[in-house]
Amino acid sequence: MQKKVYFHPIIIRITHWVNFFALLIMVTSGLRIYNASPIFGDWTLPPIIQYGGLAYARQWHFFAMWIFFINGTTWVLYNLLTRRGRTTTLFGRQDVKGVLPMIKYYLRIQKEHPFFRKYNALQKLAYTSVILIGLCVILTGISIYWPVQFGFVAAIFGGYDTARVLHFVFMAMLVLFFFGHLVMVTIAGWSNFLSIITGYGNEGPAERASSHSAL
Amino acid sequence: MSLGKEARIILPRSEGTEGSLLSRRTLIRLAPLALLSACNLRPEGKTETFLRKVQQFNDRVQASVFDPNKLSPEFPDADLTPLKDFRVNTDSPHDLDLRLVDEKRWTLEVGGLVAKPGRYSLEQIKALPKRVQNTKHVCVEGWSINPKWGGARIVDFLALIGAEPRGKFVYVTSADGYYTSYDIASARQTQSLLCYEAYNAPLTLDHGAPMRIVMPTKLGYKSAKWIISFWVTDQKPSGYWEDEGYDWFAGI
Repeated sequence: MQKKVYFHPIIIRITHWVNFFALLIMVTSGLRIYNASPIFGDWTLPPIIQYGGLAYARQWHFFAMWIFFINGTTWVLYNLLTRRGRTTTLFGRQDVKGVLPMIKYYLRIQKEHPFFRKYNALQKLAYTSVILIGLCVILTGISIYWPVQFGFVAAIFGGYDTARVLHFVFMAMLVLFFFGHLVMVTIAGWSNFLSIITGYGNEGPAERASSHSAL
Repeated sequence: MSLGKEARIILPRSEGTEGSLLSRRTLIRLAPLALLSACNLRPEGKTETFLRKVQQFNDRVQASVFDPNKLSPEFPDADLTPLKDFRVNTDSPHDLDLRLVDEKRWTLEVGGLVAKPGRYSLEQIKALPKRVQNTKHVCVEGWSINPKWGGARIVDFLALIGAEPRGKFVYVTSADGYYTSYDIASARQTQSLLCYEAYNAPLTLDHGAPMRIVMPTKLGYKSAKWIISFWVTDQKPSGYWEDEGYDWFAGI
């Protein structure tokens, strides 16, 4: 029996799954709202989840936004305020030197997997930049929800109409992150997937796999 | 009422059987996504009640964020939406009782918590100081336009009719059966108009002649067209789209 290692504290596991469902609602209801008046020509999206109308898509969107915001803030604060978060998840100056070896490894130039703790340098970079994307998705959201009351925020993003496009773009970046995440999870395998539910993942032979552990 | 019936129906892309980009295997892997599309989140029962409560909470958040001194940015004429793109977005006024919007006979019925109820003529309203403003009109659907509006400030009209301080809401009805309502703070904001002009010309029928509301601090469905009555009340009224699930405060 392989030795199990404690990967994910309970708060990370909870915020992970809450975030999944909050984003599922945010993105699908957001696409329904987008379809009411497409930005990119007449290009609309087939509905992923039915909402039964723009009014209800808005109700879901403006409910899930609180969940997404509170949950996301919890996750960010946990990583900022705990040693564990700062050392394992957030990209810091000490991680810069780890970037190139990881890229070489992924490009099959380097065979040996570089040493790292919970996440490698590229994963940390991804996790840290997704915080910024999340922040931008919230700020552009505020810009189109309150273009008058928070006009100064909307102005940063070029005003209401531009902020609407950017809100879509940042959303698309989050969705791309999600699909990249899915690919990595699939490669890393079952044990890695279970670790975000139980908290524990395999050590030893599976270490290589867990090194790809979900982006 | 700048929310037309949504005519857009989203149809799945036509599915070609030959030369399809997606292999059968990929399609099978995507099956869970297909399950999602069977997922219907139209709120009913307890979910509907819950989401309505969240919506009312968001309305309270909006009311507390609303700053009566904050202006919707006003644009130079160069940034106006050209007149040809001045969007109508209501089904042509087929439900409209044309006798009620005939400029010569039109009056605005005023009632509720006011010292001087009764019928007010176009001349009486035009006699109030005129405000001309280039402000953004933001539709709940997401699009926006920058028209030039002209009209009397609602705050001046409230003074003219002697609105009582305990009146916390304004409720208007339209000649096509539309109705909506406002918190008094938003109605008193200086850009909230009883509007009778657009682009320096009298409103056309499509745009709500002879009188409409313009409220640049709220979504377009609060800018009711063809208004025929105006009430001040202390009971929170509703609205046409608000009854269909849209938010009541609708601040932007």
